[in-house]
Amino acid sequence: MSPASLAEQTLDRRRIVVCVGCGGVGKTTVAAAVAVEAARRGRNVVVLTIDPARRLADALGVGALGNVPRSIPRETLDSLGVPANGQLAAMMLDMKRTFDDMVERFAESEEARDRILENPIYRHATDALAGSVEFSAMEKVYELCERGEFDLVVVDTPPAQHALDFLDAPQRMVEFLDSRLVHMLIHPAMTAGRFGFKIFQRGTRRVLHLLERISGLGFLQDISEFLMAFEHMSVGFRARAVKVRELLLGRDAAFILVAGPARESVRQSEEFLDRLDASGVPLAAVLVNRIRRWPGGGDPPGWNDGSGIATDVEALRDAFAQQEAADFPARAAAQAAADAAKGYAELVRRDRENTAGLERRTRDRGRHWGTIPELPADVHDLDGLAGVADWIFRPEPSTDDDSRTGGRTIDGSPARPVESTRRRRA
Amino acid sequence: MAGDAPRSLLDRRLVIVTGKGGTGKTTVAAALAVAAARAGRRVLVAEMAADEQIVRLLAPGTPPVGYAGRELLPGVLAQRIDPFEALTEYLVLQIGIRPLVETVMRNQGFRQLMSASPGWRELITLGKVWHLEQMQRSDGAPRFDLLIIDAPATGHGMTFLDVPRVVVSAVRAGPLHHHTERVEALLSDPDKTVLLPVTTAEELPARETAELVERVRGELGIAVDRVVINAVAAAPFPAGLEDLDERLDRLPDSVRLETLPPTTVLADCSRYLRARYELNRRFVGEIAEMTRLPFVLLPRIPTGIDGPSAIEALAEPLMAAPRAEAA
Repeated sequence: MSPASLAEQTLDRRRIVVCVGCGGVGKTTVAAAVAVEAARRGRNVVVLTIDPARRLADALGVGALGNVPRSIPRETLDSLGVPANGQLAAMMLDMKRTFDDMVERFAESEEARDRILENPIYRHATDALAGSVEFSAMEKVYELCERGEFDLVVVDTPPAQHALDFLDAPQRMVEFLDSRLVHMLIHPAMTAGRFGFKIFQRGTRRVLHLLERISGLGFLQDISEFLMAFEHMSVGFRARAVKVRELLLGRDAAFILVAGPARESVRQSEEFLDRLDASGVPLAAVLVNRIRRWPGGGDPPGWNDGSGIATDVEALRDAFAQQEAADFPARAAAQAAADAAKGYAELVRRDRENTAGLERRTRDRGRHWGTIPELPADVHDLDGLAGVADWIFRPEPSTDDDSRTGGRTIDGSPARPVESTRRRRA
Repeated sequence: MAGDAPRSLLDRRLVIVTGKGGTGKTTVAAALAVAAARAGRRVLVAEMAADEQIVRLLAPGTPPVGYAGRELLPGVLAQRIDPFEALTEYLVLQIGIRPLVETVMRNQGFRQLMSASPGWRELITLGKVWHLEQMQRSDGAPRFDLLIIDAPATGHGMTFLDVPRVVVSAVRAGPLHHHTERVEALLSDPDKTVLLPVTTAEELPARETAELVERVRGELGIAVDRVVINAVAAAPFPAGLEDLDERLDRLPDSVRLETLPPTTVLADCSRYLRARYELNRRFVGEIAEMTRLPFVLLPRIPTGIDGPSAIEALAEPLMAAPRAEAA
């Protein structure tokens, strides 16, 4: 019995795949590649990106704002090998518009809606409110899932200091709306006088008193108005937050943690991994993106500057001398080629050392471990994404000698289209 | 300001180091601190992140510096500005009754409200920075010659530096209004404060840096006079051999090597180094063009940034005069 492949575990069985990780590791690229693979497996998939590189956004057709999914044309899908039943759409999150849409949906009247949309604090707050990007991303994911238009939603998350920021964002928003202080601000009239505090605890009273002294009453009144308008929507908000959480922690979701090979990134990823596991997030895989890979795979050979190298450099020099023009610096070229190989081998070894602990930890917990090599150029088109998907879902057969490799090989998969894609990048 | 060579970073009071995540902001903040200390300045590095990377870079293996701060190297102090601690300090200064403030800070409802409320963290952090800038020694000289702020990563809503402006307009009167005005005045004083964007020569960071510079110049009104381009690959081959990979490709299969890998692998290694180098060069050019700012190049440290020696190696190139054109 071979364990299910990563694609079977995630793309075929789930409705949501969430890519998480710290900043600068290529989450957006991985999310888009995962979506391409899902389409190639015949699913109707949408990828929600937060902040794609411009050329990638253009390739996905989401360069223009819109906050709605845009379909990748059929001809493009054909060229990627997407079967007739597979479809791919992409969208870029427009935070402001997602918030506005929510206000539209939950406001109890047109008047209430306009009051919120025109409140100056609302305008600033949607940018600055803690976790508002996360909140609106999760809102959008929920909406896309609920619409039932797609089999699978793949989502890129904003770079987070804490792995669970996006998961907690809806809950934090609800807690904020629920907090006693907020109610005090909303209902000053319930209390005698300006902030008479008759029915509230002394602690809260002191807090408000302090806030008032520091900020002046006008500011509190503005906030109060803003919150009052929002309060009417909080029932809808609260119900949403609960549902989003259920959706993300349930069996319909799978998470992929994306890491980079640099030491600091690995350290942060190890913390992420622990936190994700501790919170019951359905984590399917850890992928290290942009790792330096030795040509042909495997470990780079070890060598030192012994006589063996000197003989080889001589042999290379002779070969260059025969091939190139008479004035070609054959000796320098031979030495440079040897140095380049040595320098690159060093980089490959360092990446392996840096990631060894994370790999062990990932495998020990029965999660899928995968690597995507650093490619010579930024991935900026759908072909490039298909290549990344090959590395994720059709990895090289493991050279490990034990049986832990279960998740890495795909049983019964067709002959790998990998080499041709990989070769094309050269 | 074309033509004018920028002043030294060390002649400012406040350098705000920022950039996209993963570009080496903290590394640059640490290297700048080392350079300042070498020049005899007394410098404070203020970090915002909860997990104190600066200690790992300058004094690995030592405990966190915390809100109280500590001298990590001779002349280099580091401090982590925790917003809740800074808020406590501020409220005590304003109200004067520490037990009252501490009761409030412990209040569950208050903490809940604060953890969801926008803006105050940024504001109180910048307020603390202003306060540190004002501190004096007994002889009246500034307590610190230079403050280096390892600011949060840019990206979605560059809110950190936006906040004072928003607050000054949203809060119309009272102590908060006046205090924020002072913070804003410090940030927008080009003689005292400069923003130092850090980027790598790659597409996404380059674009974000261009957007950042645009905003800083426009609505934020904070001085910015150079971009630091970090981890730039050195030319991998001697002049005249730029296409080494292609020449290796053309070698016949009959070349026998004993220790080195086959020529196809040698070609792949050369191809990789060449591609990274050319990519870096291209984006150095694009960054210069998009930001219309001179730049300082920091070399890629082959062994990675893993402690004080790597930081010290970057201090000198960081202080080099900014250039306008790629060499």
